[in-house]
Amino acid sequence: MAEKFITFKANGKEVTVAVKPGEMLADVLREKLGLTGTKIGCREGECGVCSVIMDGKLVLSCIIPAMKAHGTSIITIEGLEKNGELHTIQMKFVEKGAIQCGFCTPAMVLAGKVLLDENPKPTRDEIKTAISGILCRCTGYQKIIEAIQSASEEETR
Amino acid sequence: MSEKTKEKMETQVTYAIPEPESFKKLATEAKEVKIEYAIVGKPLPRIDAKDKVTGKLKFIADIKYPDALFGAVLRSPYPHAIIKKIDTSKAEAQPGVVAVVTAKDIPGRNSWGAIIPDQPVVCGDKVRYVGDAVALVAAVDEKTAFKALELIEVEYEELPAVFSPVDALKSSAPKIHETGNLITTSRVIKGDVEKGFSEADIIIERTYTVPFLEHAYLEPDVAIAIPGDDGTITVKGPMQAPFTVRRNVAPVLGLPINRVRCIATPLGGGFGGKEDSPIDTCVRAAVLAWKTGRPVRLEYSREEIMVSTCKRHPMILKVKIGAKKDGTFTALEGEIYNEQGAYASLGPVLPPAGGVHAHAVVMLAGPYEIPNVKVEGYLVYTNHPYGGAMRGFGAPQANFAHECLVDELADILKMDPYELRMKNAFKLGSITATGQVLDQSVGLRETMEETKKIFKWDEKRKSIDGASNKTKGNKRKGYGMAIGWYRTSIGTSADGCGVNLHLMEDGSVIVYQGLVEMGQGMHTGIAQIAAEALGIKLEDVRIVTPDTDSAPESGPTVGSRSLTLMGNAIILASQQIKESLFLSASELLNIPPENLVAKERFIYDRNNPQIRIEVKEAARRCMALGRRLIGQSWYTPPKATLDPQTGQGNPYFVYTYATQMVEVEVDMGTYEVEVKKIAAAFDIGKGINPLLLEGQIEGGIGMGLGYAIMEKVIIDKGMIKNLGLKDYLIPTALDMPEIKSRILEHHNIFGPFGAKGIGEMPNIPTPAAIANAIANAIGTRVYDLPIDSESIWKAVQHKEKQ
Repeated sequence: MAEKFITFKANGKEVTVAVKPGEMLADVLREKLGLTGTKIGCREGECGVCSVIMDGKLVLSCIIPAMKAHGTSIITIEGLEKNGELHTIQMKFVEKGAIQCGFCTPAMVLAGKVLLDENPKPTRDEIKTAISGILCRCTGYQKIIEAIQSASEEETR
Repeated sequence: MSEKTKEKMETQVTYAIPEPESFKKLATEAKEVKIEYAIVGKPLPRIDAKDKVTGKLKFIADIKYPDALFGAVLRSPYPHAIIKKIDTSKAEAQPGVVAVVTAKDIPGRNSWGAIIPDQPVVCGDKVRYVGDAVALVAAVDEKTAFKALELIEVEYEELPAVFSPVDALKSSAPKIHETGNLITTSRVIKGDVEKGFSEADIIIERTYTVPFLEHAYLEPDVAIAIPGDDGTITVKGPMQAPFTVRRNVAPVLGLPINRVRCIATPLGGGFGGKEDSPIDTCVRAAVLAWKTGRPVRLEYSREEIMVSTCKRHPMILKVKIGAKKDGTFTALEGEIYNEQGAYASLGPVLPPAGGVHAHAVVMLAGPYEIPNVKVEGYLVYTNHPYGGAMRGFGAPQANFAHECLVDELADILKMDPYELRMKNAFKLGSITATGQVLDQSVGLRETMEETKKIFKWDEKRKSIDGASNKTKGNKRKGYGMAIGWYRTSIGTSADGCGVNLHLMEDGSVIVYQGLVEMGQGMHTGIAQIAAEALGIKLEDVRIVTPDTDSAPESGPTVGSRSLTLMGNAIILASQQIKESLFLSASELLNIPPENLVAKERFIYDRNNPQIRIEVKEAARRCMALGRRLIGQSWYTPPKATLDPQTGQGNPYFVYTYATQMVEVEVDMGTYEVEVKKIAAAFDIGKGINPLLLEGQIEGGIGMGLGYAIMEKVIIDKGMIKNLGLKDYLIPTALDMPEIKSRILEHHNIFGPFGAKGIGEMPNIPTPAAIANAIANAIGTRVYDLPIDSESIWKAVQHKEKQ
């Protein structure tokens, strides 16, 4: 099947890549754009570690055909640092011990960002719901929840 | 303490400390003087945190190997069958296929295994479980590789299969391996159980079952094998035990061990699973690379990982306990049918007390003083997937049995389950079921007291006890607890752990060691220890990615051993370097070396701290004068002993202790369980990094919660039914309760700064604590894990019928 060129914004920068039908967004980000912060854990949209932000919403990039990214704006974990400075959520993940093996961390951070962009003062339950699509086998989620909570307090202070 | 206990303590203590004097002194010093450490004991962020939170850290799947061929494995669809014929000609003729490997093509030993090499790299004569490897393919791309698998024609003759350890022990059972289905029988015999039961006022006996569990580490298994020009081969990938992988790749290729190099890339979770699965991927990738002369990448899909790699051992545990009316335990008898599955992996006994099986048998009597104990455990092959290491290594299974049993005994005796446990729990000087005297670092009772306080146990239990459980709507509350113990290190006769430290003339240090970072925070912990021991700062320490070509043998990253053993090795190596540093510093400061201390980049006169120089000045002088700046050490913990006939001895040199209390709510309409709160306390000797410790505790509890109420690998006639993470459920954020934890420090004289292991302890008491809370809520008990809605419904129905 024929390759097609698609154009989208990746972390604010416009990119054009040739993609095949059936090629998933996660593979395009990782293989063609070198954005390997996006992880692949199951290829069936269950573990959530491939989550990226597409037009402000958290999506599972391992089951989204890359063609669907045409004309959208995608933010991956690589797009969060500004001038070498960590995003508040990233800083809180480091401080609060919310990171263990690190395989779900990029997705968890992005989930936190989407939540706080929409709802700057979430409750603990709202945070749990916001990250519930992403599995973490290491942390028991407590410190991830605390980190997002703490970022929300910092941001709205 | 009785005279007999004292006598026993003395005989055992003398034998227990084969320590270099200097190290012992350091340990004692820390205990007595309460030294203020600069780096150790601080809740510092992980050294790899920034790389992980920005996505910069490269897992092996993130690195491109443009020349690499794709490897793929053809797997058996039958649980037990003879391979009659295999024809690979069509696959070989396929354009893009570079190699097809069958059993005849293995250059060396066609088998691998962590303890017994009984698992074929590629099966030649027969297959023993669904997922066994029948052929390997290397091709230019993934699609071609999978197409080639379809073109391989295999003719099987199905054999009768056996799917339970009890059936497999029958004389009529099909023989899975030439050696028979019974791999080993382990036992612990202390005192006289007949006599013990005759002294009891009450005896209860129950049978518990626990299922196969999937590790569900999120990073899939990958191996890259790269043949070198110099007759070597390099294998890279996430692996908990690079030296074990090396020990297997070499004979499979028919190479001396020194021609195999294993590099443990960062692990996206391991939990014991990546002690075994990397041997699988690495030997197979290595065979393909050796045959083709090209790099080969072998990556397993999530489904393939679930089908083919090791799991937590399922067990049937029959346990009987006898007690006096006042709750004093008189005897415990147990029988364990431990299902190994198709291959031995980490199940068998690695003398004297290594391997999952021996550990489960040793642990079954629990952290209790029981004068008469008899436990017998059978480790048995079946045609199921195989059991390997998984966080707790046989202990969670045993803990579920003894903690549910003791809880039910308390109900029958009408005693508070806390009081019953406290009456019998280990304390300093207690003698275990293996006759080991616990002569130091025993904080179990203190963890009970602490947890009781933070959980408000008395208040909560009183709200339910005595009266019928008041329902709020359709929901019933329940409160339960469990206690536990866990070893540090693996119980083999010599669990050695080596390290090389190279101090640079600017005061920075490189640590060459072979234990891996899988999320637990071990590299941060040892960096803290190295910084403290050398008197430099955390940022001065660089831990090199574990590489068997540069790291001395350090053993595997398992058994909650890593921080303790490597920490000791680092302290010993640091002392060698400090000898040079202090000699140079003493010349510069004109102070005798014995008066010097090093802390946070400075060497001070301990009597007059303003007299000081920078570590780097002393290091520069050492370099200029040719003084040794390399520390090399090999730490071996106190020797493990366990008599194979009686199970008496000191199988592990120190234990971590824990208590957990749980609040649940059970919906009596849907029988769903919600775990509302968990409180926990741990005696871990010394918290090297409290922030990371809490992470281990919370994560372990999460894993234990999955074991308790949701996880089970469902297998029907050898075929796994719930493949993939949409059918095999692990806890999400919504399943997790609020966790309150406390760290207690009962100094371990064999630990670096007093530390002992934490990695596996946290998930061990959780399933029983939750089960006991559910029993408290519903007024009846479930004896099989997981305790899901259906099993609660059945238990309630059964009770109502009575």
